[in-house]
Amino acid sequence: MAPGWLRAAWMTALFFGIGFGLVAGIRAFAGWDPAIDWEPIITVAALTMAPIGFLSGLGAFDYWLGWAFGAPTRPDDHSGHGARSWSDYFRINTDHKVIGIQYVTTTIVFFLVGGMLAMLVRAELARPEANFVDPQTYNELFTAHAALMIFLFVIPAFAGLANYVLPIMIGAPDMAFPRLNALSYWLLPIAGIMMLASFFFPGFGAGWTNYAPLAVEQPFGNVFFSMAVQWAGASSIATALNFLVTIITMRAPGMTFWRMPLLVWANFTTSLLVVIATPFIAGSQFFVMFDKVMHTNFFDFAEGGYPLGYQHIFWFYSHPAVYIMMLPGFGIASEVISAMSRKPIFGYRLMALSLMAILILGFSVWAHHMFVAGMAPWLRVPMMVTTLLIAVPTGIKVFSWLATTWEGRINFATPMLWAVGFVSMFVIGGLSGIFLGAVPIVIHTSDTYFVVAHIHYVLLGGSLFTIFAGIYYWFPKMTGRMYNETLGKVHFWLSFLAFNATFFPMHIIGVQGMPRRVYTYDPQFGNWNLFITISSFVLGASFIIFVYNMIVSWRSGKPAPSNPWRALTLEWQVSSPPPLFNFDEIPQVVGNPYEYGVPGARHAILSGERAPTGEAETVQR
Amino acid sequence: MSAHSETPHGGGHLHPPTANQSSRVDAPTLGMLLFIASEVMLFGSFFTAYFFVRVNAGAEWPLEPFELPKFVAGVNTAILVTSSFTIHWALQSIKRGNRAGLQAGLVLTLALGVTFLLTQFREYSRVGFSPADGAFGTIFYGLTGLHGAHVFVGLTLLTFATIRAFRGHFTPAHHHGVEIPGIYWHFVDVMWIVVYATIYLL
Repeated sequence: MAPGWLRAAWMTALFFGIGFGLVAGIRAFAGWDPAIDWEPIITVAALTMAPIGFLSGLGAFDYWLGWAFGAPTRPDDHSGHGARSWSDYFRINTDHKVIGIQYVTTTIVFFLVGGMLAMLVRAELARPEANFVDPQTYNELFTAHAALMIFLFVIPAFAGLANYVLPIMIGAPDMAFPRLNALSYWLLPIAGIMMLASFFFPGFGAGWTNYAPLAVEQPFGNVFFSMAVQWAGASSIATALNFLVTIITMRAPGMTFWRMPLLVWANFTTSLLVVIATPFIAGSQFFVMFDKVMHTNFFDFAEGGYPLGYQHIFWFYSHPAVYIMMLPGFGIASEVISAMSRKPIFGYRLMALSLMAILILGFSVWAHHMFVAGMAPWLRVPMMVTTLLIAVPTGIKVFSWLATTWEGRINFATPMLWAVGFVSMFVIGGLSGIFLGAVPIVIHTSDTYFVVAHIHYVLLGGSLFTIFAGIYYWFPKMTGRMYNETLGKVHFWLSFLAFNATFFPMHIIGVQGMPRRVYTYDPQFGNWNLFITISSFVLGASFIIFVYNMIVSWRSGKPAPSNPWRALTLEWQVSSPPPLFNFDEIPQVVGNPYEYGVPGARHAILSGERAPTGEAETVQR
Repeated sequence: MSAHSETPHGGGHLHPPTANQSSRVDAPTLGMLLFIASEVMLFGSFFTAYFFVRVNAGAEWPLEPFELPKFVAGVNTAILVTSSFTIHWALQSIKRGNRAGLQAGLVLTLALGVTFLLTQFREYSRVGFSPADGAFGTIFYGLTGLHGAHVFVGLTLLTFATIRAFRGHFTPAHHHGVEIPGIYWHFVDVMWIVVYATIYLL
């Protein structure tokens, strides 16, 4: 039967049945009572086997299985490549451009869902005794909000944007492993649906950090989180591996490492982080799940386990993960700020090297999340020093962006607004990060709203702003149409103001001692919280403008020229949207990618016929 | 939205331009090496748990009154190490165009790997403790189980290679399908030596 949604449906059911039979069979064979125990059955059949069935049904494994059983290799088969109609976005597609759009749209859906969960959290916090939801539901809401935003929005949204532009930027016809690329996208909806389904079992409320032993005592929905993290993690490892191999082996002639656009550098370092660090969160979630389902003793102190070990293993991933959530944004900001300022990026090599420095330092700071967790005291000062050291490469980047705009002819189009908004908000987040990296201060501010303010300044003001910069910047390339500039600017200013009104006061109530992750609070914080809640609803409403702008512009926007920003990187030298295999012939790279306003400078020579577009914007020569 | 393929310009769009090869390492080998790096880190997280339980929590090792079957596991180690040599022999054979050697090497490797797994299962049923018997039991089953799962994956990959070898697919010039599962198999093998040394001997 042909791969597709029908086959996916019955294969999901079939694999669920196989998993059910496997668990029930083993339990009956071993004589365990009861043979039909739903907790292991759901873990194995619904959370492990059924997704494999779904992927097989969609056809993610068809080629590989054919190869495995001896079918001849078909190196020139491109039947699953490209999109001719909207339905091609709903199947296994090996075109990196289609996958990029699949990624971005899916992650925006999860972003909106996660945002609505945040609205519910704020509704509960509007008054000290709002009693809008019960305490456990409140815990589940903020946990799912964070989990969706981190694992299903920020990380994969960056992967999606890079998926679209990175192969074109380095002059490659596609990613190194197109089928693996398709598979890694389809793992995402599985993870997202799993996280949302957890609410019905009946949820997980241990925070997105899922600390043991609290996690082990949570309702069964906690296992949904553990498994969803495995699927999302597998997706990001596969994508990162694909990026690394693509960057290393498929660069166009002349595209040396020191000529790569900074977005490529950023994704190169991010992918290294993902490949090395993500297995640790996989491990930590396996341990919690085994403790819960199989009654093992990884974190049971009474049985010789070591509860604090969870935090070490978790943060060994999750601190590098904050750079996984930020470095691609640095790349996007570098692209946008340089092109929009019409100036070469300041300190190109240091920009690339500072990414590598963050990569290396990022592995040596994890325990700064554990200053008050009761870990060995001698670890505190070394971790504080390495944490504060990260301000050095990050500072290099911030000053380089500022120097890039210096005396530039700045075009404040929407992408540039988001990029500049990112730099300013990220500096505020970085400064509160220095506070939180210092042991004496964090003893006071740990687990208060000061931390909530910090995380949102770096993740919302940082990552989200760069994601929007990227979406607006490449929207013309992806869709072949221009977005509405006025609506884009309205969206930016409304989000920017509402964002600051929402999160800046959290610094104040945090320092005054309002604890995070509690469904109620002392009445003295009431006025600030009401203000924050109202601002957060305005922030939420601002994204309606974004969604409206994207949908209407995609359907009926003004046709986009091939190079509306007059940028030099390769993705702007092909038509909008690019041809099926990006280039007729692989281009020859002859210079640096940011030589704006430099007489005679060229980045690349595209041989053959230029893509016929409305108004051919040419490379500056 | 205008579709990507409606406007063929230049007529060269049915086939992609051949990508430039910008590294001496080919893509599949590099992909496998990066995957192994990731796998090493997964083992790393389990070894970290082992370290915390044994060093920080000071768990009794092995937990009284249980004993670890060092001798049987040692024989099993020898079996797995031998299989690394047989897969190497298979690869060297096809490089020289010796198809019979390739097939024999792969079948021998599969047989040794299956023997290893069966011995491991036998050990599980005889060892007398379960994953719920203290942090000791948890870590023992965690690390050996994780490794066993990797042996299973390695055997699955080698089975595919064997099927293709018997269908006459590999040549002295094209043998990625043997070489890359082979790299993975060596990794599984080396990892076992580490697991055996830390769990059984230390």
